[in-house]
Order: sequence, then structure tokens, then C-alpha cells
Amino acid sequence: MIVTARRIQELLNKGDIIISPFNTSDLDVNSYSFHLGDSLIEYECQIIDPHRPLRTNTIQIPDSGYVLKPEHFYLSSTIEKMGSSICASELYANFSTAACGMFIQTSAPLGHTGAIINWTLEIIVAQPVVVYPGMKIGKICFWENYGELTNYQGRYCESKNVVASRIYQDFNRQESHNDTYRQGN
Amino acid sequence: MILTGKEIEKRVKSEEIIISPFLPENINPNSYNFRLGRSMKVYRNEVIDPAQENPVDTITLGDDGYILQPRKLYLAETIEVIGSTCFVPTYAARSSVARMGMFINLSAPLGDIGFIGRWTIQLYSILPIKVYYGMNIGQMMFWHTSGEIELYNGKYQSAEGPIETRIHLDFNEKMIKSLNTLPDVHHEEEP
Repeated sequence: MIVTARRIQELLNKGDIIISPFNTSDLDVNSYSFHLGDSLIEYECQIIDPHRPLRTNTIQIPDSGYVLKPEHFYLSSTIEKMGSSICASELYANFSTAACGMFIQTSAPLGHTGAIINWTLEIIVAQPVVVYPGMKIGKICFWENYGELTNYQGRYCESKNVVASRIYQDFNRQESHNDTYRQGN
Repeated sequence: MILTGKEIEKRVKSEEIIISPFLPENINPNSYNFRLGRSMKVYRNEVIDPAQENPVDTITLGDDGYILQPRKLYLAETIEVIGSTCFVPTYAARSSVARMGMFINLSAPLGDIGFIGRWTIQLYSILPIKVYYGMNIGQMMFWHTSGEIELYNGKYQSAEGPIETRIHLDFNEKMIKSLNTLPDVHHEEEP
């Protein structure tokens, strides 16, 4: 079952859901609206090969805005640190963002239980779209769990900002030796 | 409600969820990581016509990987046979895969209860991306239902390997039927 706003608020009060910073005005009827951080990253490599660490270029989004282009792929992050130790979550664009022709994730909405982080967003646009730091961009919703809980302990556990894919760790045993859920996200 | 990883594992043991082959290390807190199979299909024609069969070419993934071209659709398969007669599956890309700039489904994450087979996933990327046979590519989730269960018995049941769209099968029949039942605007205005 999906968690309603009132229940999100209750779980926030109990510390079972974390949203930081949190503004009551951004709490919708069954989700919470989150905001875009102030940086973007783009890959610099010609071919994205999961066997190798990926070179990236960081772009600071100025207050005057930054134009995203359709042939590019961008990663950015949420301003908010969000998640729950008892619920799973999903992140979606809000209607206003989608209606500008913007994806904020590429078929990966799931936030595992226990992942309480600043989320990395995968951004693609259908036509040029200007983005601004701090703009409202998407919604997180929470789902009740069925069964015994385990907490996400994967490679993006400590994310505080936008993080490029660490998929190369799949292919590097030493790096992921102590990572219980190394393939978890 | 969404099943936890522990619950997925339990239901695999009781055979209420089928994941075959099953690797315990591929369980996550709310999902199971599935792997990319050997073969992919690409449409031969530039224009896809839902009213007709669309010819495809097959690509076999070698051990050295394969570079996906940007903005080209590849229909790939899961290694695993996955499904359940008790829970509804949905699936997503792993975050590490999505972060490379790749979709593994094009707004079609929802599965049907009772479908048990190899899943056809839709690979589509913005940048050239190398993919490897056997890489962990996506995550299957399972959801509790509310109401009496009827099982899927559709045209993709027991799928073995990537399957191109069969939209033409329902296109002719259903399209014609639904067009015939459309209200005729001019007649409606008559008394």
C-alpha cells in the first residue's frame, strides 16, 4: 500500500522517514516534492563501458539557469536527503517537469528500504529545457513493506550529492569485497 | 505492499515466486537483480507499423561486450525465468545501469500476475554504452494484491528469449471492433 501524506508526516515525526530539509508546503497528498541540486555531471568518455571508471565533467547550475540539450545525458541530485528504514520508496518526475519534456530517471524509480541519501537523478530532455538550482523537480512516494526488513547497504549508501555510475565495481571483486549488497542498486 | 528481499527469498523457496536460476547474492532489500541474456533483437525497418509484423535481426552478445548505439532500440532478454502466480511483478533498471544513461523499459515496468518466462527488456540509451552478457542489469520487485487473482494467459506467456512486439495480433481485431463501436458524431446529434 502507498503511504498517504498524513502517514508520511507521522513517520517523519517518529524518525521512520527522513526528509531533510523538510517543508510542510511540499508535502502532497501521497508524496513529497523534492528539489534539484545545484550541479550536473556529464560523462566525458566516448563510450560508456561498465568495466571502467567513468570520467565526468561537473557543471554548476547558475542562478540564471542552464539549458539542457536533448542529445545529452545529465546526472544531478536532489537537495533533500530522503528515505526510510521501514518503507520502500519510488522517485518520479512531477507533472510540471514531465510536461516540460523532461525525464528525471531512466527506468529506475526504486529506492530500496534503508537507502537514506541525496538521490542522483538521470536527466534527459525531449527538447531544450532550462533548469534552475533549487527548482521543484520530482516526487518521492513511500510503499509499505511486506516481510522481514533488511536495510540497503549498497555502494551509494553515503551519497550526499550527484554520484556517477559505479557499475565498474561489479567487475572488480576487491573493491566490493565488504559490500553486502554490492549489486543492490 | 512491496515484498522485502527476505520475503522474495522465502516465496522462491515455497515456489510462489519463480526465479530460475536463483542466486541468493542477487537479493536486495526490495528486489532481485536479474541478468542480461545472450540475444537481442533490433527492428530491421526504420518505421514500426503496429498493423503489420515487423521484421527483426538477431544480435548475439559475445563475451567481449557489445556497444549499443544511441537512440536505437534493442529488445534484450533476461537470463532468468521470472514470474509469480501470487504476486505482481514490476521491474526497474539497477541504479548503476540507469546512471550510465540507459533505459531498460520504456515506461512499461508493470508485469502480469501469472506470467512466467524470460522477460523482454527494452534497452535504449542516450550515449553509446557497452553491455555484457550476464551483467546484472535490472531489478524485479513483487507486490501484494488486493482482490481475487486471475492469471495471465496472454500472447507472451512462457516467453523464451527476446520477443518483438506482437501488437499486430490485437491491432487488426481490436482496432476494427473498437472503431465500429465509436459513437458517430453526426448520428448522435439526431433526435
